[in-house]
Amino acid sequence: MRALDGVGTVVRLGLAAVWLVSGAIKVADLNQAYVAVLAYDVLPASVVGVVAAGVPFLEVALGALLLVGLGTRVVAAVSVVVLVAFVAAVAQAWARGLTIDCGCFGGGGQVSAAETNYPWEIARDVGFLALAGWLVARPRTLLSLDGWLTGASVDTQGRT
Amino acid sequence: MGGAERSARKKRQAAVAGRPVTPPPSPAPAPAPAPTRPAGNRKKIVIGAVVVVLLAAAVVGGIIYTNAKKNATEGQTIAVSRVDAGYPAVRQGAIVTVGQDSADTIIDVFEDFLCPACRSFEETYGKQIHEQLAEGTVRVRYHMLPMLDDRSDPAGYSMDSANAALCAADAGQFPDFHQSLFDAQPAEGARGWDNQQLVQLGTNVGVTSPEFRSCVESGEYDDAVAAHFAEVREMSFLQQEVDGQRGFGTPTIAVGDTVVNTGDENWLKKLVD
Repeated sequence: MRALDGVGTVVRLGLAAVWLVSGAIKVADLNQAYVAVLAYDVLPASVVGVVAAGVPFLEVALGALLLVGLGTRVVAAVSVVVLVAFVAAVAQAWARGLTIDCGCFGGGGQVSAAETNYPWEIARDVGFLALAGWLVARPRTLLSLDGWLTGASVDTQGRT
Repeated sequence: MGGAERSARKKRQAAVAGRPVTPPPSPAPAPAPAPTRPAGNRKKIVIGAVVVVLLAAAVVGGIIYTNAKKNATEGQTIAVSRVDAGYPAVRQGAIVTVGQDSADTIIDVFEDFLCPACRSFEETYGKQIHEQLAEGTVRVRYHMLPMLDDRSDPAGYSMDSANAALCAADAGQFPDFHQSLFDAQPAEGARGWDNQQLVQLGTNVGVTSPEFRSCVESGEYDDAVAAHFAEVREMSFLQQEVDGQRGFGTPTIAVGDTVVNTGDENWLKKLVD
C-alpha cells in the first residue's frame, strides 16, 4: 500500500537522522565516547576502547545506509540489536545504582545522582526500537536504493 | 462478466487455434512474478551481504582511525614550560610544599594532572599564585591525586604523573615539571604521557640526579599517593556540593580547614590582604 510506503519512508529517514546525529557527535569527540563507555562499568578495560571506537562509526554507517535506503531490512535488524544492547546497558547502570549519563548523544560519564535520567533514556531508545522494528517488518519504502536496484515496481519490491 | 473469465476464454480459443498465447492486456495481478522472483531474491541477498560488509568496514576503519587519533601523544616530547621559581619546593610524603618558610598563609591545592578543570584552574590562577609565591606571601601545598586514574587509555596516567612530579620535587625541579604537565595535558580517554616521556621531561627541565629515572619508572611514590588520596577524599571539610551531590573533587583549594571558593576571581587577593 502506497500510504504505508510513505509512513515507512518517514520512519526510515527518521531513524537515519537519529543514527547520523548520535554517531556524528560521538565521532567528533572520540575521547569523550571512551569516558562514556567506561562509565557503564560493564566491559573489561581492553574492550572499552574497542567498543568506544567502533560504536560511533557503526552508528554513522547505519544512518548513512538508512538515508540512501540500501539493505534497509538488514540495517534495521542491526539497529535493533544495537538499540537492545543500549537499553540493556542503561538498565544495568540504573539497576546497580550507578550515576551516569548514557552518552547517547554525546557527553556521558559520571554525573550526580540528580542528573541521571534513566527512564527517559530508556523510553527514547524504545521509541527508536519501534522505528527499527517497523523497518524490519516492512522494509519497503519510497525513494530507496533498494527499490531502484532490485528494479522491481513499487508493487513487488520488498515483499518476501 | 469478469476480466479473468474473459481472458481465460481467449486463452482457450488461442490454444485451440494453435496460436501463441498472448497475455491479457494486464489487468490487476502483476505479470508473471514467477521468473523475476528468484532474480529479485538474489539481488536482495547480494545487497544484504554488501551492507554487512560496509558496516563491518565502518567499525574496523573506525577502530583503526580512533586508535591512531587517541595516540596523539605517542612519539611526542612534552613541551617545557618555565616558571622561573626563585623559591623552594620540598616533598614530604605525597605532598610538595612550595614557597618561602616565612609565608604565613598556606594554601592546599588538590589536583590531578589529567583533570581539565585543574588545567583551567592553573591557567586562570597559576600566574597569580606564582607571583605570591615569589613575594613570599603564601606557601602552596600541592596534593597531586589519581582521581581520574582510569580515564586515560591505557589507564594510569594520573598516578604516573603524580608519582613523577614527586620524583621531580626530589630532584629540585618541581615547579617547571608541574607547569609543563598542565600546559601539555593529554585528553581524557586518550593516551597520556608514558614514564619514558615523563623522564624525558624531567631531563629537559633540568633534572640531573641519576635516581630520577628509576623513581619514575618504578613508581616509587605510587603507594604513598594512593594512601594520601584515600585519606584526602574522606576528609569531611573537603567535601563539596557539586550538582546536588556531596563529594570530593579536583581541583579543590583549601586554606586551613576551609574550602576556598575559586569562583570568586579575587579569592587570592582577599587571602593575602
